[in-house]
Amino acid sequence: MESTPRGLKWLSAVTGVLFLIALGMVLFYAPEEAVMGNVQRVFYFHVSAGWVGGLAFLVTAVAGIVYLMRSDPKWDRVAQASVEVGIVFTLINIVSGSIWARPIWNTWWTWDPRLVTATVMELIYLAYVMLRQGIEDPERRARFGSVYGIVGFISVPITFLSIRLLRTIHPVVIGSSDPSAQGAFDMTPAMLQTFMFSLLTFTLVYATLLWHRLRLQRLMERVEQMKMKVFAS
Amino acid sequence: MLLEPAQTTNYMILGLSVIVGAILLFVGSLAVRFRNLRQDLQVLKEVEHDEPEG
Repeated sequence: MESTPRGLKWLSAVTGVLFLIALGMVLFYAPEEAVMGNVQRVFYFHVSAGWVGGLAFLVTAVAGIVYLMRSDPKWDRVAQASVEVGIVFTLINIVSGSIWARPIWNTWWTWDPRLVTATVMELIYLAYVMLRQGIEDPERRARFGSVYGIVGFISVPITFLSIRLLRTIHPVVIGSSDPSAQGAFDMTPAMLQTFMFSLLTFTLVYATLLWHRLRLQRLMERVEQMKMKVFAS
Repeated sequence: MLLEPAQTTNYMILGLSVIVGAILLFVGSLAVRFRNLRQDLQVLKEVEHDEPEG
């Protein structure tokens, strides 16, 4: 296995530094929200994690389309790697939202449209992983995974739009909330700067993790090929 | 009369810890999987090298 590319080393270092700066901004630069108090600071990373989840699943769908057009296994690797990162960040989004909800909604969980659609989306992509594990033939696995990744992406815009189209208590920070929303707030300039910086940082975190996960995928395939070669001889 | 913000610092600490912890856990899992695969590859190379020709 070749050593870590110089570009990836730099990207990892820059991302790490930016993450620490973002955490510093969340804790010390953004002001305390007047009603909710300090728990509102979770919002910056909660939304950013949700953004990374949606972005990762979009990349999976696009990679699936390209794979079906070109049959190049490289694109299947991208789809698979991106799903794993997306699942992790969607889980972070759901759990951090639940922690925010406890003091604000007085419950860890409620059957609100946003919470339900986000959880269904997570389950859809967990099923993607299970589907792939159940197919032996690599070409067939890639083809089925691509189709599933494209169809499964429908869950992403549904999750995004659920708080804009349906009656919900989940606040909409960018845009207008439903009148029954609980925990909505207006952002000050410092809050907006922290939010945008967090979004940028999490996007870089995604790119970094995707690159590492892709290299892992290539190594897994190399080990599999080597195993087949050794056992066949 | 001005109201004080709610005392929710514990939830903030919990929320941010979960987020940072989950990311670190994922990075750690990548590192462990890399290490294990490299070890597997090394063993397979040795087995291939030890096998007689033909």
